[in-house]
Amino acid sequence: MLLALLELKAARGRFLLMGSVVVLVAALVGVVSGFTTGLGDDTVSALRRLPATHLAFAPGTSTDQFARSLVDDTALDGWRARPGVRATPLGTTITRGTTGSGVEVDFAAFGVEPGSFLDPAPGSLERPDTVVVSRRLADQGVRPGDTLTVDRLGITLTVTGTTARSSYGHVAAAYLPIATWQRIRFTAPGAPASGAPTSGPSVDRLPGQYTAVALQADPGVDLAAADRDLRTRTLTVEAAYPAAPGYTGERVTMTSIQAFLYVIAPLVVGAFFAVWTVQRQPELALLRAMGASRRRLLAHTLGQAAVVVTAGALAGAALAGAVGLLVGSKVPFSLPATALAATMASVILTALAGAAVTLRRVATVDPMTMLGAGR
Amino acid sequence: MSLNLHDITVTLGRGDSRTTPLRALNADFPAGRLTALLGPSGSGKSTLLAVAGALLRPDTGQVLLDGADLAALTPSARARLRRERIGYVFQSGNLLTGLTAHEQLLAAASIAGRPVRTVRERARQLLADVGLEHRLRHRADTLSGGERQRIAIARALLLEPALLLVDEPTAAVDRPRAAALAGLLADTTHRHGCITVVATHDPAVEKAADRVLDLASL
Repeated sequence: MLLALLELKAARGRFLLMGSVVVLVAALVGVVSGFTTGLGDDTVSALRRLPATHLAFAPGTSTDQFARSLVDDTALDGWRARPGVRATPLGTTITRGTTGSGVEVDFAAFGVEPGSFLDPAPGSLERPDTVVVSRRLADQGVRPGDTLTVDRLGITLTVTGTTARSSYGHVAAAYLPIATWQRIRFTAPGAPASGAPTSGPSVDRLPGQYTAVALQADPGVDLAAADRDLRTRTLTVEAAYPAAPGYTGERVTMTSIQAFLYVIAPLVVGAFFAVWTVQRQPELALLRAMGASRRRLLAHTLGQAAVVVTAGALAGAALAGAVGLLVGSKVPFSLPATALAATMASVILTALAGAAVTLRRVATVDPMTMLGAGR
Repeated sequence: MSLNLHDITVTLGRGDSRTTPLRALNADFPAGRLTALLGPSGSGKSTLLAVAGALLRPDTGQVLLDGADLAALTPSARARLRRERIGYVFQSGNLLTGLTAHEQLLAAASIAGRPVRTVRERARQLLADVGLEHRLRHRADTLSGGERQRIAIARALLLEPALLLVDEPTAAVDRPRAAALAGLLADTTHRHGCITVVATHDPAVEKAADRVLDLASL
């Protein structure tokens, strides 16, 4: 290892240049990873927080279920009657509103049955004109006691509580009674409405429909049979993430960028070490002539790569973390230490794989070259 | 300790460039003696050093170091022998780019698996012995050809090899320095009892040698 370190010191300019490239690649991978997780959280964290195992959507909706699916009371009652299953209606709609103090906000209205297992703050949604907002909405100025009037519909809600930070489709989540959600979902803009549910379109006349039936299913329950009987299509909550707006597109985009970076990293490092190895052929031949074993030369080369790549990845991780601190409160960015460590480990491994490509040339160097040099 | 070459034949190259620098060569090299290897260019001096140094396997014959045939050893065993028992000074291309004179010697110790702290002071002393005490921290590639060759000699002596093989050590140094180097090699040989073989055209080395082997006369 001493020789590897001496060479690193002797050629520090070249290795610093290489290390800088690794720093930038690692930082970019870290930042992209942070955005991937952050955007994912921003899209589905409200779904992730649902205390449900499955969601039963309307049949015939294989994409955008949260926007397109409508299930009715028959399906809801059918699920409720199934043994081993607890069922409650769920409504999801992205809308916008204005607080009494004039703060305009977008929010994802999650209609839940008060007192059900989806109710985020039991006791806070007893009245129909109430809403519990996520902390993110509170950060935007919507606080308990405020009124929130749904734009164009005139439905006025009173904020009765806050819950953990959660969002859906990049919009902060708010939880309201399912009947109120139905008024928001099914009332045409401009139709007669007021803040009180009794003075707007009659709840009775609104269709008894929901986005999905949220389920808590015991293990072993035959959900497929229930789907056949009740004409629904059940997915695990995780499997329903792609149905959230923008989720799939974002994942594909960000993952593609990451994949390219994971290809670029070994290519760049491999190219550098290939050139470095070619330049060092006389030195490697000398070392072999002096009795250095192939194993030692391979360890020597990999050791140099490991030092450069690890140092570069650590600096890149610090840079990515700094970017997260800088922009994390303004844009969706989430890079926990474990995710950062895993990302950097991947960068290090792929970069070392690139360096390993040059090992064959190192292993096959001929000490007789030294004799040739002298003849 | 002894080095014996029996019936060594080496053929190099292919086709029209095929040559046989050593043909049925027999030679013995006793311990504690400096042997000057003479002969015109192409007479096989470097080839003999390569065969003796376990770098080149002869086509026929035996290379016996303390009775063990080097030609029969596996490549990894020959590599181990080179790092543990043989000191080699090549005619050129001896040094590692970018390392200082002192580091060249420390790197050799590292390759041989010796703890560097145990040789640090001896490395300084050897560099002083070859007149380079003021060049310890100079990068080898900034030094003259003669200085570089002296570093290579100091490095070869560092681990007190049983067999010291030196190819044209004085080709790039001035006459007084050549005499001093030849004296250093002879003195080291006598003190440590190693087998030293020096390929040379230099009368100074020939004068310092205990015996002379002229390949042209074999």
